[in-house]
Amino acid sequence: MAAVKLEKICKSFTSGRPVLDSLSLEVAPGEIFFLLGPSGCGKSTLLRILAGLLEADSGKISFDGKDITSLPPEKRQAAMVFQNYALWPHLNVFENVAFGLRILGVKGETLRREVLAALDTVHLADMASRRVPSLSGGQQQRVALARALAVKPAVLLLDEPLSNLDARLRDTMRSEISRICRERQQTAIYVTHDRQEALSMADRMAVLKDGQISQMGTPRELYERPANCFCASFLGDINFFDGEISDGEIITSFGKFPLSGCNGKTRRAAIRPERIRFVSPDTPGAFAATVVSGIYGGDLTQWICETGGVKFQVNEMASPARKCGETVYLAFDRDYLLAMDE
Amino acid sequence: MNYRRMIQYIFMVLLALFLGAFLLLPVFTVVRSGCEVSLFKELFLSPVYREGLLNSLNVAVVTTLMVAVISLALALLYDRFDFAGKEYCSLLMLLPMILPPFVGALGFQQLLGHYGVVNTLLENLGLSKVDFLGGSGKFYSVCLIEALHLYPIFYLNLVTALGNIDPALDEAGANLGASKWQRFLRIRLPLLRSGFLAGGSIVLVWSFTELGTPLMFGYTRVMPVQVFDGVKELESNPLPYALVVVMLTVSALLYALMKYFLGSDGTSSAVKGNMGSRGTGLKSWKRFLPTTVFLIVAGISVLPHIALIGCAFSRRWHGSLLPEQFTLEHFDNALSNPLVLPSIVNSLRYSLLAMAVAVAVGVVIALISSRWKLRGAWILDVLSMLPLAIPGLVIAFGYLGMTNRYAWARAIFDPIENPLWLLGIAYAVRRIPYVVRAVSSGLEQTPEELEFAARNFGAGPVRTLFKVTLPLVAANLLVGGLFAFSFSMLEVSDSLILAQKSIFYPITKALLELSQILGSGPASACAFGVWAMLFLALTLASAGILLGRKIGAIFKF
Repeated sequence: MAAVKLEKICKSFTSGRPVLDSLSLEVAPGEIFFLLGPSGCGKSTLLRILAGLLEADSGKISFDGKDITSLPPEKRQAAMVFQNYALWPHLNVFENVAFGLRILGVKGETLRREVLAALDTVHLADMASRRVPSLSGGQQQRVALARALAVKPAVLLLDEPLSNLDARLRDTMRSEISRICRERQQTAIYVTHDRQEALSMADRMAVLKDGQISQMGTPRELYERPANCFCASFLGDINFFDGEISDGEIITSFGKFPLSGCNGKTRRAAIRPERIRFVSPDTPGAFAATVVSGIYGGDLTQWICETGGVKFQVNEMASPARKCGETVYLAFDRDYLLAMDE
Repeated sequence: MNYRRMIQYIFMVLLALFLGAFLLLPVFTVVRSGCEVSLFKELFLSPVYREGLLNSLNVAVVTTLMVAVISLALALLYDRFDFAGKEYCSLLMLLPMILPPFVGALGFQQLLGHYGVVNTLLENLGLSKVDFLGGSGKFYSVCLIEALHLYPIFYLNLVTALGNIDPALDEAGANLGASKWQRFLRIRLPLLRSGFLAGGSIVLVWSFTELGTPLMFGYTRVMPVQVFDGVKELESNPLPYALVVVMLTVSALLYALMKYFLGSDGTSSAVKGNMGSRGTGLKSWKRFLPTTVFLIVAGISVLPHIALIGCAFSRRWHGSLLPEQFTLEHFDNALSNPLVLPSIVNSLRYSLLAMAVAVAVGVVIALISSRWKLRGAWILDVLSMLPLAIPGLVIAFGYLGMTNRYAWARAIFDPIENPLWLLGIAYAVRRIPYVVRAVSSGLEQTPEELEFAARNFGAGPVRTLFKVTLPLVAANLLVGGLFAFSFSMLEVSDSLILAQKSIFYPITKALLELSQILGSGPASACAFGVWAMLFLALTLASAGILLGRKIGAIFKF
């Protein structure tokens, strides 16, 4: 495990617009750090620069304080799990995992033991002699992980490693990867555009937009206190509403609410759909609304309600049936109302 | 620039120098020696040379037309229908390439000679004999045997081009009420232009400059044979240089004309479509109709080779339909001829060297353009494909010119005392495009990610190349190498022109010499040809199995 530090990394391709714009961040030893962002935000480029597969135009990368910016990829000890796994089809499972170890000079019985131990970590020890193309997607993904873990890298890099798996397998693998990294106290940098993956696995995460960090922090900080509208909506569904803001209050068409954290740049308020509740008319702070539509999802139903010309999404667990046009009463805890800069 | 990049650029410069010295310089030497007004004047005033040029052009045009008709019909059948044994038909189409037409000509003479099979058949039917090998019969015989040898190249290009046409384009035509013929003429044929250009230009230039076949048929009034005849007195008479310049210019003109009439207008990129099977399934006996057509064409095209085998195994085949009296005597005679065994050893040495050079150069060129992506790589790309466009005869002649003109070339290429390097490199240069094509197509199909992964797991660039990149394109590399080797083994132009002493003769020149010995010569040559045919058949079959349908990509221009 190593500490990773990126300082003012810049990268442009031929088109001119910078893909990474003076980006800096630090990852603590043993931390699982997520880079989250939409397609084209520069997250995979950043990972490739870390691995040495791409050269940054400027900036500095250090592992444990040692400058590795100009080291070739093979000298970095930053093992990567590729999005499409990049398993070598001409080598079997054992040889794929043994590849990096052989380069490190591990031989004979030690090699065999370490390869099998790595495969055991991902529950594939009995598949060592199988050919790569004969494995399922999930198995290939695990071999790719075992291959990276086997070399005991200073930093583990994961480039959307679960994006080609089905939903069930993805869930299983999320907990597997978290477990393995925590057990080994493995520093890991994980790139994804899947917010659920980031929120459920990360120790800390950074949301990237246009080659810059939009916000960085723990999953809870980012989800519950997003710094801006982009982060707020990228991390989950959220209701924005406009109003007149003055003296720590927002005056909307359906009521007046205290808004903490206001500053001169605050333009609107926001609230997550699960923070709004269906309540009885006599509940303090309740306001009337009309049900517009509902999407039933089994455990959770997403309701769209309207009041004063403003539409809200309300997520309700174990929801009773409601009719469109029906009048309902809604309320929310004022603490969850977020002040948003534009 | 880091030092790895620098090494890559050094490789690029070295390769450019190699191609400059062994591809451009020979052409330049020929042009410099041949570009004299007095020589051109002499050439164009001479009715013999004028006739030679005209005959060569005629051979090229007629051969290409024959090839186009045969290949278009076969390619359409292949693309339109699902039929019995379809997957084997493309392999069958490689059969005619088993032998250079030059050797096929030996068998053809047995079929079409005055006492050959066809004339015997005509006589048995009470019809009068036809002189296939004299007068204009000779011309059509040359064209036919070249066409039968070259149609697979055209066919493979057409099949690839047809495969790139989105079936929806045809369906859209049908949907708007166009009949089958209208769709063929208005939609498919125009979209096949790239295939016609690719295949047609190779066939046109190839048949224009083909030396072996007319030589075997004694059809001497064609430019390549005139050039060949001039080699012996080159030092006193530089006219052949001018002939070669004219040949080069006309080849370029032919290509330019093809490009002008068939050149891409941007449609080729727009027609890439889905590549699923879209053949119409045929039922019951109809399933065998296209198969029969394929078998008939392949049958006709291997007739010369069958005749060659018949000749090699029979004591007498004169005025009869089938060979008479089985014998192995010709094989004995062939092996006991002092030219034969050394020629096999020579060819093996030259071809192994050629394969090694072509593979080494080809792999690095493919890496430079597909992986290293160096600035200016396109120049190397163009240079490496040039041997397809420059006639072999021109390059061979250029080497001869170089050894006459430059002391350093004489020192490396000692044509009199040790032509190993001369022939090895001459063969190699002409085979580089096949290796580059084969390896590039392998690299393009292999995700670069696999190499990144190796680098990421600690392998340096050299280890990555040998442990990951090359093993992943091993099949393509093997095919490229096999082609380089087997085509070198049976190469004609360089062999006939550059091997001057009989102890250094390669197989093809020994075959020609053998066939010209009166008496048992032709039969021994046939026996020798059978060996050669077997050898090439094995090579091509293994290449076909390794690469499957993609083999066509190697012959694309």
